[in-house]
Amino acid sequence: MKRIFSLILLLTLTALSARAKSALSGPPPSTAPVLNEQQRQADYTRRIDEVLDFAAAGAKFKTNDPAKLDLVTIGARLVRGEDYAHCSQRVIELMSKPGTGPFWMFPTVSAAYLGRGRLTPAALASIRAAWRTRQLRGDTENHWMMYYASLYLMSELYPNDPAESWYTGKSSAENLAEARAYLIHWTDLSTSMGQGEFNPTEYIGEYAIPLLFLASWAKDPAIKERAHLMLDWIFAELATNTLNGVLRGPNSRTTEGPVAERWNAMASSFSWMLFGNTPPTAGYGGWGLYFALVAKNYNVPEVIYRIATDRQADYLQRDRARTRRRWRYSDELSPLVYKTNYLRTDYAVGSTRGGMIDPIQSHVWDVTWAEADPRKKHNTLFSMHPHSSMVAMQSAFICYPEPMIKAVTMEGKPTYDSPDKILGSSPYEQVFQDLDTVIALYDIPAGERFPHINGFFSKDLVKVTESPSGWIFAQGGRAYLAYRPLAGYTWIKYSHFAGGWAKVGLDLGGRILTSPHLKNGTIVQAASASEFPSFAAFQAAINALPLQFSLEPVPTVNFTTLRGKKVTCTYGQTPTVDGSPLDYSKWKLFEGPHLNSEVGSRRLTITHGQLERVLDLNALTATDRVRTP
Amino acid sequence: MSKIKIAGALLLSWVVALGAAVGPAHDLILCVTFRVPGGLTATALPLPLPPCGFHQRGADNRFTHFGPNYPRFNNLARDPRDPRVLYAASLNGVLCSTDGGESWRIGTSWDMTEPRDVCIDPHAPDHIYLALPDGIAVSNDRGLTWPRREIGLPRRGKYMQAVKVDRAQAGRVLAGCESGIYLTENGAQSWRRVFSTQATTTDLQQSPHDAQLWLATTQSDGALRSRDGGLTWEKIAGVPAAAALYNIAFDATNARRYAVASWTYGILTTEDGGETWSERNAGLPAPHRVFRLGIDPDNGRLYAGVYEAAVYESLDFGRTWRSAGFEHSVVYNFVFLPRFVNTPALAHLP
Repeated sequence: MKRIFSLILLLTLTALSARAKSALSGPPPSTAPVLNEQQRQADYTRRIDEVLDFAAAGAKFKTNDPAKLDLVTIGARLVRGEDYAHCSQRVIELMSKPGTGPFWMFPTVSAAYLGRGRLTPAALASIRAAWRTRQLRGDTENHWMMYYASLYLMSELYPNDPAESWYTGKSSAENLAEARAYLIHWTDLSTSMGQGEFNPTEYIGEYAIPLLFLASWAKDPAIKERAHLMLDWIFAELATNTLNGVLRGPNSRTTEGPVAERWNAMASSFSWMLFGNTPPTAGYGGWGLYFALVAKNYNVPEVIYRIATDRQADYLQRDRARTRRRWRYSDELSPLVYKTNYLRTDYAVGSTRGGMIDPIQSHVWDVTWAEADPRKKHNTLFSMHPHSSMVAMQSAFICYPEPMIKAVTMEGKPTYDSPDKILGSSPYEQVFQDLDTVIALYDIPAGERFPHINGFFSKDLVKVTESPSGWIFAQGGRAYLAYRPLAGYTWIKYSHFAGGWAKVGLDLGGRILTSPHLKNGTIVQAASASEFPSFAAFQAAINALPLQFSLEPVPTVNFTTLRGKKVTCTYGQTPTVDGSPLDYSKWKLFEGPHLNSEVGSRRLTITHGQLERVLDLNALTATDRVRTP
Repeated sequence: MSKIKIAGALLLSWVVALGAAVGPAHDLILCVTFRVPGGLTATALPLPLPPCGFHQRGADNRFTHFGPNYPRFNNLARDPRDPRVLYAASLNGVLCSTDGGESWRIGTSWDMTEPRDVCIDPHAPDHIYLALPDGIAVSNDRGLTWPRREIGLPRRGKYMQAVKVDRAQAGRVLAGCESGIYLTENGAQSWRRVFSTQATTTDLQQSPHDAQLWLATTQSDGALRSRDGGLTWEKIAGVPAAAALYNIAFDATNARRYAVASWTYGILTTEDGGETWSERNAGLPAPHRVFRLGIDPDNGRLYAGVYEAAVYESLDFGRTWRSAGFEHSVVYNFVFLPRFVNTPALAHLP
């Protein structure tokens, strides 16, 4: 008995210790998988409680002043059963000056639902009344997801209200029908043709939060289950595309900070909450805190957890996605995107085929290496063409040509019109990837605003060596990297913008290889340091690889990769591997050891070892099984 | 200033004063947003700026806001039979009001967004045309339903920025799209292209003096003129075409006066029916990035919305300018609507 008490005491102290030490400032968590289900669940609950503690204590404001409570603090206190009187008072104050748009709507939904039976009737009525004021729907897919999920839930909560009581001028039933139609449309499109905002470093919250709200609170079981399945779907994608919890490229949308400091993104806070395998970011992801309010309504399926944390072999995953809607200057409304991801223990390589994706915030390809503690590390290598154009703006936005470029730089995209930027996609970049080899070719027309390419060389690379052979060798973490510029270059300092709203760039180290040649290219070959007896041996191996290239009339590369593949890439033509042209038309929606789905199927099979979970958006079912070895 | 100019100015002032005494025949409504220069819209920041949306000129020449504080209205149309029935092209879709702007209903659903223009067929006022980023929707039931009517429009290239009904013939409509100007003569049952452009047609206007005369502005092809009701188009030689032109307007008080607005060129005017053109930017703040212009059909007063600066007005067709307020504004449209006799412009206004 004494030993049992001692064990309980030890466990309690351990739990208290873990709880007292914030994951924000503590050492990075273990990346080893927790195989015991109860322990895994307990860890998840502990992490969510840590976030709720933070939120209830005033979140970023760190205040108990009732006059300064925001809706996430109110939500956390309601979840914990605290301070109903102040929360009610503050809700009434906040609702007296309603905001507008999706980022105001979903927090008020959380207060409306969590406040049931907790907030005073007057406070609840103030929320409902605020929904009489105009709300903007926004113009991106994530805006609409938040907008319609919020409208759906409020309309369900107040099912019989007349049209004049809603900002839409439509009755509850009409709002519900419209919101439901959009939510079904979005899930059908995303599960048959691919995500429009795929692998977003920040916008994951804009999908996960409304989906979790729907999964938690929707009365219609079909919408509830649909939302639950979509949560599994996007978290399975997150798990598959992270390296020790860090989401790397390609990304439909990211920002200036995480494109270099890969960890420093909201996606990492989601990885931490769900998988526990990387530290959370400052403030637990900012408004991602809203996820924690009801996160205990969601359990990460083991198969997804294991994909994120239990990597026993290298894997190649090929997927499809969509670009952002293009209103103009495109043959297609949402051209298809083909993604390649190759993940190993020490590094990962990922890419799309290049071209325009999102006009401002796409990140097309990179090699990202694992870091024991990824915080403040710029653990990535890539090149890109800094494209800035009015055509790109007008393709995506309903705008006149001239004002938009400056406008976006003032609204969370500070480097869009900078020649030294490292964020964005270009119509003049074409990318090929085979395992851990990337070939990026550029054919930039004369007169282009920024007629050069930029290669990002991190401050955290070591042993950077410009070889007479033309290759540049370096080491990042336990990865050896070889970078072959196909044209002359110079070096400039890298100026780091810590995020989309950063006003100035910081000199944290690192360089940009800038190459002022319109016909251009980059070859990158990665390998694990453990594959070679020395760095010199790696260099010798790369120098021995057959390579021929020319830049006129268009860039062409013939290269035998470190893995023995004979690759031919010519700008504007289909690449060949060992003489066979790639046939992207045969690519599935997902294809790899972990995620598989046929185009148009609305059905995703998630696999890890013997574990399998099938998400079926047609039948609205999730089916688990343990496969026979 | 010469004696002639002084006399001209006095005469113009007298005409304006006389017009004011009689009362304008048109309401002027600005579709406007307020922004911190180079920054966010006023709706996103707690700044002491006026509300965005519709600002209507009253009898005292002062403007009053009505409708929602809304950052983006592109145009406003009013039922010619009933001043209370309004249709607004907005970010969320088309907003419909049946009470003069006191309350609004989002007429379209999730599958239509950010219409650029809206207009009513004066001969069939139940028919409303809505220019969309991906085509056109037409309501034949006063805004209750909005089916698409796109037969004849291309699969791509139908981004539509302007739509205007020919006042001379019911169901005859011109549409300014990415790939050119399109015409329907059967109420959008079918369309055909009447002019090809490299980039978007930004505006279409029908002359108040001659229903056969139309003008258009484009991003890529300069300014265009049609003398046959929009069937054929010619480039107007004196207007530069290297940069985008944003909109064009006729002067209802003078058949030979038109004006063009441009971010790059500022204000361009002609007073000889388009034969010669002059830049009229002296007195506008530099850089003279004119986002929108309008010409008051009652008195020929020229208005220029200078991007994030202010609204300017000219009593001499651009030769001199003075501020008309609206500092930090972006004007998306100067909307002139025929005033209803013995009826307040909008029900709620004094």
